[in-house]
Amino acid sequence: MTRTAERWISLAVFVGLILFWQLLSRIYTAEIIPGVPLVPGWDVLVSRTFLSMADYWGGGLGVASVGEGAERSYAAAALSVVTHSWDTLLRLYVGLAIGAIGGTALGLAISWSVWSRRLIGLPMQLIQGLPLLAMVPLFQLWFGTYFIGKIAFIGYGVGVLFVAGTLNAVRNVPQIYIDNALTLGASKLEVYRTIIIPAIFPELRATILLSLGVAWATVIGAEYLGAQSGLGYILVYSQQYGYVDRMFFVALLFIVYASISYAVFNRVSARLTRWVPRASAPARVA
Amino acid sequence: MTDSSQGKPNDITFTDVTRTFVRGDGQEVTAVDGVSAHIREGEFVCLVGPSGCGKTTLLQMVSGLLPTSGGAITVGAKQVTGPGPDRGVVFQKDSVFPWFRVIDNVEYGMKRRGVPAAERRDIANRYLELVSLSHVARAWPKELSGGMLKRVAIATVFANGSDVLLLDEPFAALDYVTKHQLHDVLLDLWRSTDAPRRTILFVTHDVDESLLLADRIIVIRDGRLVDDIAIDATRPRDVDTLTRPDMMTVKHKLLAHLGLEHGSRRSAAS
Repeated sequence: MTRTAERWISLAVFVGLILFWQLLSRIYTAEIIPGVPLVPGWDVLVSRTFLSMADYWGGGLGVASVGEGAERSYAAAALSVVTHSWDTLLRLYVGLAIGAIGGTALGLAISWSVWSRRLIGLPMQLIQGLPLLAMVPLFQLWFGTYFIGKIAFIGYGVGVLFVAGTLNAVRNVPQIYIDNALTLGASKLEVYRTIIIPAIFPELRATILLSLGVAWATVIGAEYLGAQSGLGYILVYSQQYGYVDRMFFVALLFIVYASISYAVFNRVSARLTRWVPRASAPARVA
Repeated sequence: MTDSSQGKPNDITFTDVTRTFVRGDGQEVTAVDGVSAHIREGEFVCLVGPSGCGKTTLLQMVSGLLPTSGGAITVGAKQVTGPGPDRGVVFQKDSVFPWFRVIDNVEYGMKRRGVPAAERRDIANRYLELVSLSHVARAWPKELSGGMLKRVAIATVFANGSDVLLLDEPFAALDYVTKHQLHDVLLDLWRSTDAPRRTILFVTHDVDESLLLADRIIVIRDGRLVDDIAIDATRPRDVDTLTRPDMMTVKHKLLAHLGLEHGSRRSAAS
């Protein structure tokens, strides 16, 4: 099948899903609270639901908030969506970057020698066994409910994945490349820099994709349990009042942001792994 | 290069070299058993022997990738204690780094040794030309055939300026034609490089290959050095060279060592 044909089919499925949802909202019209349908159609989502996002606008920039007595406005709603998204995305990507870099560095350090395995390897194995979401309250008490606490938690969740992924990938580096580098005069540090790191990257792709999912789960988890901003905060607020349409709206935002993340990642990683045999058409995930 | 009074800079001395392994069942196996030999500077020596005889183990100990269990190996005046750029290795399997372009592979060793960028690019380009690969200098290794990858590996060790080259059945996986082309590439590079000529230790189980290439053939069996044959035939050698009576005598001798000729098997084991 050609690439164009595949694109058209994807588009058709996408449009089909949208239409199906609209149809469902017409057939199943039950409401959880008066005026809030359990299955909100697109007409509701783009008008009333979107407008209700103005409730979470704190004011400023010349746009008065609902709390200040102003009417809900599209300007306030848009600003609200942008600022809360920004907060969440900032936490997500800073946490992801810290976890990815820290986890990879730790994994490489553990693989360095027998002694580093003994000293860092065992404690890491113990930490890996902890259930992630159960750690949220602990992290909040340790690091506070602010920015640091959240990125520490995301970094931890992502970092654990990267340690395991890196260790496994290092083990799978063919010995012949290391031997070849050593006989050409490379030092151990140079072997890590010029052989191990490029060789593990294709295998880390899976870890990176997995960690994007974990990062979303942890950032929302962290916001769910204690935050004054972010998409997770809107989610908690909406849940308390039974605003299904708002929760669905936030979920849609997640899908949009996650899709963009995956698309960007696929672009970047395709370029970084163009040396890998048969990597010209990477598996599409977004 | 080393300053030496006793040995030439790139000769190899084996003194009672032994290597033992402990097998999975706890049994100790002797792979190389008390090998002593001297390889002169600039000599092309083939190590021949049946599969599992210890010839690759011996080569790995010269490269320093595998430590000896007993005895010593000296290259020039320096005892081998680990891998180093003075001893270049061409492996049987593909060793070209897939994440570097061809030219960067050839420059790899020189870059590690701190050769200035412009100089190493010149050297790399020269060797790529000598192995007829100038047209793929910017290609990725995945775009090359098995024979071309071997050329890259050979260019890389020659460009790195190693005094001693160790080749571990480098052409065993290649087809007949490619193999013979690469013999010529290797011999041309070895013969053309400015003095002092590099010392080559070439492991093979292919009797004809050793007869075509070597100045001297050392036969290893059960970890022991069992024969050491000088080949006097002039170069270049071809298929006709191999049918000369003196070469046929050597070939029969080698085949007997490999256990392929009846009657002579017992006498060879002396």
